[in-house]
Amino acid sequence: MKWNRTALGILALGASAGLLLTGCSNGSTPGAGSSDSGAYKIAFVQGVAGDEFYISMQCGIEAAAKKAGATVTTQGPAKFDPTLQKPLVDSVVASKPDALLIAATDVTAMRTPIKAAADAGIKVVLVDTTVDDPSFAVSQISSDNVGGGKAAFDAIKQANPDGGKVLVVSVDPGISTTDARVKGFEDATAADSSFDYLGVQYSHNEPATAAEIVTAALQKDPDIVGIFATNLFSAEGTATGVKQADKADSVTIVGFDAGPAQVKQLQEGTVQALVAQEPATIGTDAVEQAIASLKGETVTAEIQTGFTILTRDNLAGEGADAVYKSSC
Amino acid sequence: MSDTKIDESGPETTLIDLRNAERGGAVRRLLRAQSFQILLVLLVIVAIFSAIAPDYFAQLSNFRLIVQNASILAVIGVGMTFIIITSGIDLSVGSVLVFSGVVAAMVMRAIGGDGWGVAFIGIVVAILSGLAWGILNGVLIAKAKVPPLIVTLGSMGMALGFAQILTGGIDIREAPAVLSDVIGYGNVLGTVPVLSVIALVIVVIGAIVLHYTRFGRYTYAVGSSEEASRRVGVKVDRHLIKVYALSGALSGFAGILSLAQFNTTAIAGQSTTNLNVIAAVVIGGTSLFGGLGTIFGTVVGLFIPAVLQNGFVITGVQPFWQQVAVGAVLIVAVYVDQARRSSALRGGQSTSSLWRRLVTRSPK
Amino acid sequence: MTVPVLEAKGISRMFGHVRALDNAHFDIYPGEVVALIGDNGAGKSTLVKALSGNLAIDSGEILFDGEPVQFTSPNQASALGIETVHQDLALAPHLDPVQNMYLGREIMQDGIGKLFGFMKTAEMREKSRIAFDELGATVRSLTLPVGSMSGGQRQAIAIARAVSWANRVVFLDEPTAALGVRQTKNVLETIRRVRDKGIAVVFISHSMPHVMEVSDRVQVLRLGASAATLTTSKTSMEELVGLMTGASTKGIS
Ligand SMILES: Nc1ncnc2c1ncn2[C@@H]1O[C@H](COP(=O)(O)OP(=O)(O)O)[C@@H](O)[C@H]1O
Ligand SMILES: [Mg+2]
Repeated sequence: MKWNRTALGILALGASAGLLLTGCSNGSTPGAGSSDSGAYKIAFVQGVAGDEFYISMQCGIEAAAKKAGATVTTQGPAKFDPTLQKPLVDSVVASKPDALLIAATDVTAMRTPIKAAADAGIKVVLVDTTVDDPSFAVSQISSDNVGGGKAAFDAIKQANPDGGKVLVVSVDPGISTTDARVKGFEDATAADSSFDYLGVQYSHNEPATAAEIVTAALQKDPDIVGIFATNLFSAEGTATGVKQADKADSVTIVGFDAGPAQVKQLQEGTVQALVAQEPATIGTDAVEQAIASLKGETVTAEIQTGFTILTRDNLAGEGADAVYKSSC
Repeated sequence: MSDTKIDESGPETTLIDLRNAERGGAVRRLLRAQSFQILLVLLVIVAIFSAIAPDYFAQLSNFRLIVQNASILAVIGVGMTFIIITSGIDLSVGSVLVFSGVVAAMVMRAIGGDGWGVAFIGIVVAILSGLAWGILNGVLIAKAKVPPLIVTLGSMGMALGFAQILTGGIDIREAPAVLSDVIGYGNVLGTVPVLSVIALVIVVIGAIVLHYTRFGRYTYAVGSSEEASRRVGVKVDRHLIKVYALSGALSGFAGILSLAQFNTTAIAGQSTTNLNVIAAVVIGGTSLFGGLGTIFGTVVGLFIPAVLQNGFVITGVQPFWQQVAVGAVLIVAVYVDQARRSSALRGGQSTSSLWRRLVTRSPK
Repeated sequence: MTVPVLEAKGISRMFGHVRALDNAHFDIYPGEVVALIGDNGAGKSTLVKALSGNLAIDSGEILFDGEPVQFTSPNQASALGIETVHQDLALAPHLDPVQNMYLGREIMQDGIGKLFGFMKTAEMREKSRIAFDELGATVRSLTLPVGSMSGGQRQAIAIARAVSWANRVVFLDEPTAALGVRQTKNVLETIRRVRDKGIAVVFISHSMPHVMEVSDRVQVLRLGASAATLTTSKTSMEELVGLMTGASTKGIS
């Protein structure tokens, strides 16, 4: 009896204390750095933890911060979910960083919490995704996603010059980046009469769901020639679905992003092309803009970064740097 | 014969946990409850973080946000506590929340306007939408005898599916301004979030109903022994339906609160709400086997993960460690519950814990 | 004597192909203890359930105070003052003795309090205490969950609950089966006390010494049928055992 109670206390304490120590040796020192010493404290909130895209961005941020003598702490929700990201942002704001770099998980839901950071005097830079009426942010940095969608279409067209049916597998509606990619693809398809656009399906960022969507779509339209998967997990699931339907030979899959999983699929020939963003550049630019704003220098309100089209041919050569990292 | 002493510990003796049950004066009950000991753990965690990061963690503004972020979960937690006390489970809460938010948002959009009139209709619609799912859950569980885990797993998928069908998967991002301004982000007395005041009212009402009314008494009775309740004329099936209906209605209400807070139906959100709430209820000392539990414990159980996460973020701990810590707290809480049970079965209930000897009187 | 308080006339009940009750007869008068005995599977529990509204019968008649009744629920039997202590105890282990005593019969507050479902907790506690005292049931705590109490205490609570609601008939289905010597003595004492209040007690037991000690009459069931009805003072344990097993057939009513 007695030790059960005591054990509970000790374990809970031990767990918290142990983790705190891990945290301290792991990241930057809390409370260190302040604007007057010049060592700026930068907080980075990812869209989801553990995603190579955000890790690459984190690498870019950390490298740029190191150069500028700033410290960085990175946090991310376990899922790409505004109800999980909001408490995280609130906590980050409580830690009073000088700047907040954030990939918002929803244009509406995340607006008020992020604006609260700006209202508290924190310089906010929106990275990759944005929110409604982002006037409170000092800068927004993202890939030219409409251009990325168009690039994806070009890659499909290159493999299928005669045209045919094409499908898009996206994440969820309401995410500014993927919506823009879909739009870029849609516009490009509409401009080319030899292609038949089957519309967009949403995977909710679950590879399993994406696979189900794709197998079902191939059941209905076995003559699909190309599928554009707008993000990491959608591409992963799409490749699985095409494999399950035994259509790997006739369907050109163009993925967006270049995580290790996609690169492996590209090497294996499951995916024919990847539209790689430049997350590290987004991160570097974000830090530069944040620090410029903190120093009172001129800030660029909107920056769009480019893409690299990865194929099996350029993967070993000039494309190698475009591959996302799973650690810095 | 009146002086006959009944042997207390015969071989046929079966013991259940003594300290955790509802009985005696409110104060004694409180002191002995696992939920109170969990409260101490919470206070210790708060103290540690306050010592590490006094300027960041131990700030009123920070506590205010922690409370605000736990408010919607607390509303759902009240219903979940009732359900788990009946030895049931409700996995559908997050989806029912989303569904109710969607239906309410659509109705409010159709009516149009930004005033209290349309907001009030939205609130009622959200509660009724949730209530409908709760009744469906309850009927399938009580009458069709399908296990709660299966029924609510099914309705979890169905409610989310219908929410996506109704909207085509596209979030509705318009709600009456009063909802967001007053309920979502409004304050009472300058700093107390309206959302939290609403949650507090529901928590207090829930606790009174659970601990002081016949409805609450039957909830414990049904969870303790369905057969015993049935034999004395408690309408067990009807009571179970009511309890699931309550949870559904509260999830529906949480749907409008979420709409107020996020200004969108967040269809893709609330993905782990059900598990977070169940974890809180269990951490708070409510037994998954039924018959035991308190609303107070659930509230404390909600704050442990919330404070751990907040403290970890502020002190810059890697995000994955937060899940590890919360998972560990959950397992420890259930382990303590189990260990106490089996120890009590071996007749160890007379051994007092240090804590108990210091603070409470042993039962006479 | 007057009319029996409860009487079963030729009742039958089948479970699939098992004839659990086969034209069985049973009667009991006010202020009487009748022991119901029989081998395992003889139909004793089935008869008790049929007479307490827990089970429907296929044919036959049940009379209460000489009037035919048809039980469709335990509540209906309860309303007539018939209570049962089932073989497997019907207490909710997490509730305390008072809560169990009043489970399903809570005393509600008046007026607005009742509307909201509030109960008169103090009154229920007081009345329970009196009921336990009356029976000499040594319930040591009214605020601990009954699941933490010994089998004897729980039996005492279950019996106290039954007898305090029953003003006509109490069925005790093997109430001493799980008890030690002292607890058993207490239960037998309770049976006498209840009988002395003018309540009819039906006592099911496999223990012939207990049957001989406490009952006024004995009714024997064999394979679902009534095998004999005897006055306890005029029979012996050997005879009862013989009747149960079918070795003797004396005294068929
Ligand atoms: N619910 C039931 N379903 C099927 N058979 C039953 C049921 N209840 C009792 N029986 C059968 O009826 C017979 C009498 O059972 P019971 O009344 O429990 O006997 P006793 O109490 O005398 O030991 C037994 O053969 C038993 O198996
Ligand atoms: Mg029996």
